[in-house]
Amino acid sequence: MSTELSNEWRAGFLARLSAGETVVLAAIAMIALGGTLVAAKGVYMKAKAELSQVLLQRSFAAEMRGETATKPWPWADFTTEAEISAPRLGQKAIVLSGASGEALAFGPAHLLSTPQPGDAGTAVIAAHRDTHFRWLKDVKPGDLIVVTRKDGRKLTFRADAGRIARWDESGIDANADGHNLALATCWPFDATTRGPMRYIVTAELVVADPIVTGAVPASRSDIAEKSSDNPLAQN
Amino acid sequence: MSLDAQLARTQPSRGNFNLGVAFALMALSLSFLMLAGLFVRAFAETPPARETMPSLVRPNDMGTGALLFPSSQPGYFVEAPRLATDVEIDVTGPIMRTRVTQRFQNPSKGWVEGTYVFPLPEDSAVDVLKMQIGDRFIEGEIKLREEARQIYEDAKAEGKKTALLEQQRPNIFTNQVANIGPGETIVVQIEYQSSVHQSDGAFSFRFPMVVAPRYNPQPIVQTVDLDGSTGYAVGDPVPDRDKIEAPVLDPAKNARINPVKLTIKLDAGFPIGALTSPFHEINVKDNGDTGRLITLKADSVPADRDFELNWKVAAGKTPQAGLFRETIAGKTYLLGFVTPPSEAGANEEKPHREVIFVIDNSGSMSGTSIEQAKESLALAISRLGPNDKFNVIRFDDTMTVYFPSPVQATPDKREQAIAYVRGLTADGGTEMLPALQAALSAQGPVAKDALRQVVFLTDGAIGNEAQLFEEIAGNRGDARVFTVGIGSAPNSHFMTKAAEIGRGTFTLIGSEDQIAARMGELFAKLENPAMTNIAANFDEKTVRDISPDPMPDLYRGEPVVLTAVLDSTAPKGMLRISGDAGRQPWQIAIDVAKASEGKGIAKLWARRQIDDIEATAYSAADPASVDKKIEEVALAHHLVSRVTSLVAVDVTPSRPNDEPLGSAKVPLNLPAGWDFDKVFGEEGTGGATQRAQLAPAPEAEMVADMMAAAPTARAAGMIAQAAKPVALPQTATLADRYILIGLLMIAIAAMASVAFGIWRWQMQGLATANAGTRYEH
Repeated sequence: MSTELSNEWRAGFLARLSAGETVVLAAIAMIALGGTLVAAKGVYMKAKAELSQVLLQRSFAAEMRGETATKPWPWADFTTEAEISAPRLGQKAIVLSGASGEALAFGPAHLLSTPQPGDAGTAVIAAHRDTHFRWLKDVKPGDLIVVTRKDGRKLTFRADAGRIARWDESGIDANADGHNLALATCWPFDATTRGPMRYIVTAELVVADPIVTGAVPASRSDIAEKSSDNPLAQN
Repeated sequence: MSLDAQLARTQPSRGNFNLGVAFALMALSLSFLMLAGLFVRAFAETPPARETMPSLVRPNDMGTGALLFPSSQPGYFVEAPRLATDVEIDVTGPIMRTRVTQRFQNPSKGWVEGTYVFPLPEDSAVDVLKMQIGDRFIEGEIKLREEARQIYEDAKAEGKKTALLEQQRPNIFTNQVANIGPGETIVVQIEYQSSVHQSDGAFSFRFPMVVAPRYNPQPIVQTVDLDGSTGYAVGDPVPDRDKIEAPVLDPAKNARINPVKLTIKLDAGFPIGALTSPFHEINVKDNGDTGRLITLKADSVPADRDFELNWKVAAGKTPQAGLFRETIAGKTYLLGFVTPPSEAGANEEKPHREVIFVIDNSGSMSGTSIEQAKESLALAISRLGPNDKFNVIRFDDTMTVYFPSPVQATPDKREQAIAYVRGLTADGGTEMLPALQAALSAQGPVAKDALRQVVFLTDGAIGNEAQLFEEIAGNRGDARVFTVGIGSAPNSHFMTKAAEIGRGTFTLIGSEDQIAARMGELFAKLENPAMTNIAANFDEKTVRDISPDPMPDLYRGEPVVLTAVLDSTAPKGMLRISGDAGRQPWQIAIDVAKASEGKGIAKLWARRQIDDIEATAYSAADPASVDKKIEEVALAHHLVSRVTSLVAVDVTPSRPNDEPLGSAKVPLNLPAGWDFDKVFGEEGTGGATQRAQLAPAPEAEMVADMMAAAPTARAAGMIAQAAKPVALPQTATLADRYILIGLLMIAIAAMASVAFGIWRWQMQGLATANAGTRYEH
């Protein structure tokens, strides 16, 4: 009898609901759906950040080969500028031009108001704390940061201690003496809200390889190889 | 079954039922509460409290000349105690020369490197730097920027007293001073040339005297206006600006802390009428019809206002035109100004306009930028009159021209266009060139007597500036290009130049609340050009470098101010300036030979020449040639510029190494004009000493405490640049938050379903019980 009843109960389940119950059930369904959508949006943002790096690697490799005006995809509002890596941490990412919110969704971005990494002054590269610069908190003073520019120059910087500053009081002077690099991301690292504080790691140029003219197949393939394993996937 | 038994059977079940219902209801409402709580938490972010930094300043805040020492807080500086300031301004006709002498003190017990920051009017030509540090006298020499810095760094490393004056931006200069001894007094003297401002027949100038704001110790609540979709923080670069308390100093006390002596020798060149200083009390002494001697009334220097002096011509009409000349090294430098009669074109009906609006809806505009752009554009379209024609072009990496050709601005068409604009979303790349081409050359011929205006709304995030400049220069025709910069950090370099080449103006809209005011100013210009197609011609053939070129349009009350150089010492012939006031042509001729002598015109010419070279930098094949040209002009005229700096040379013999400081007083042979005590006057010196003694010791000690003990070259470099610190973008995504909220919502839904299931189950139980009861009956 009980199975019979339960079958019948199931069959006529919706029909038997009172108006109030339908509303409650609908509300529950909507919360579940909304939750799924919101979570999916978050997952999508992360997935976009990780997966796009593959396309960016391709575009950057093309730029390294000397192709000009290579946009990662036709409707992108940025170009690839450089590749940044932290050898000790085994991290690597393609740097984009112009730190618009759009560019930052896909990769670390070089602030256009600052000089190119390796040029006189302080170049600033910013990235999201929960994706591309998740490793910034692990950078220790003395760590090497390697930036490969699209003109083929490979620049090695030595990191200094990190500090925390407000976004509008960064204390970073783009025209400062020397050849400096500042990496910035949001702080605190594990917060889920947006805040005005930034974590800044400054680094000083130690080695600057000259511009590599012509193809250097070994290093290129090296880059291409490493690009396949996304540095941030493990996080 | 007996009633009792039935009761006994139903009773517990009813009890269960009530309990179950209560539980289910509780669980449900709890889920909703939690959900609500989640969202409330999500939207009520706690505003972070600002860190307290008493008495620290930043170079960008300096509204007046000040000597800054690096503080222990990176990015912040402390102001050296200012013992005295003496300002002498000589106004001759339209030219003025300013000499500022300031006395500072190093209050610390260590050797420091300080940075003297001074804001000046945009057109200032800085050419003299003199300093006295301790017992050393130093005079600046003009050198190439790199060379000057090298000399400075070398001297600094050798422990010599040295100074380096650099231009940071056209209106901000910094002077680094190395090796200032403990307790030493520094006297800095700079001189610059600038021109008197004219508008609506009134003459005026400003001298920067605003004391930098102090960061007050009360915590300031700040919120950053974040944009949900781009993650970019947009807003006033100094949030809660109004909460940074303006220093309200007791004037008497301020006069003691920051004593300023201001002397103005005014020689207007015409009988002076009304003479006013809106913010400061002044003493005026007559010096003939055309001259005045103006000094500040004692103890009346409010700290928060620039000094401003306005004067007008006595009776009759304002001089319509003036021409001044200076002969240097076989060349004649000319400065001329002409105010077109304000009646000209006044009776004319407003000219018909053909306005092409171009709006950038690329990805970089997403967020508040596009909203501001849309609102500004809608406002602009709604202002069009029925006689005007217009069209709208939007672009990202694609482009849409809304009407096939410009249409009459009837209410229908306006509404239609506004609705289209409001529907735009920001996405995609920025391909500006096709849109610019469409706006400049694909809109059909300009109707007779109509004004073609192209209004460009963008953040200017582009890389092919040179190409765009060429397009504007080549195809602007009769059109005027007005640029409107949108967002917190638009590429104002590009937009200013684009407007300059397009003979229009640049309007910057930094935030939502600026739209109405700034666009209002732009509309006033768009709708009422006072004079267009202005040209200046000399009969003399050797005239070169007439600046500005091309002449900008004039708006009501503005004069044409031009500079030129002639290769002869005795210029002849006429200067003819012509233009169109509405449909009516206007012309004026001035006899060049009758120009009156004026000192410093060559420097003003050189300064303008440098600006002009900078303005054409886009078309130069290589940037080095531009630098070279600027270098030539700047070196010839002893001017500080982007590529040249003044570097100090120690003119007194240095102290022998074997003699300790203090025991051997090097006899001072003062070069002529170096006696600063005379500058300050007997009273001033006495006053200064007295003040130094009077100066509350704790204050000086506080400054000393906050100074970084041993500033490194890097720290000094940081202030020297006086640059705005780089604003960092928002680098937190809400991805984690979304995932968290999403999972919580799913959990809540699951909980609610369980609660609902229990409720249903209880209902089921009741129904079964009831059925059972009925059955058993």
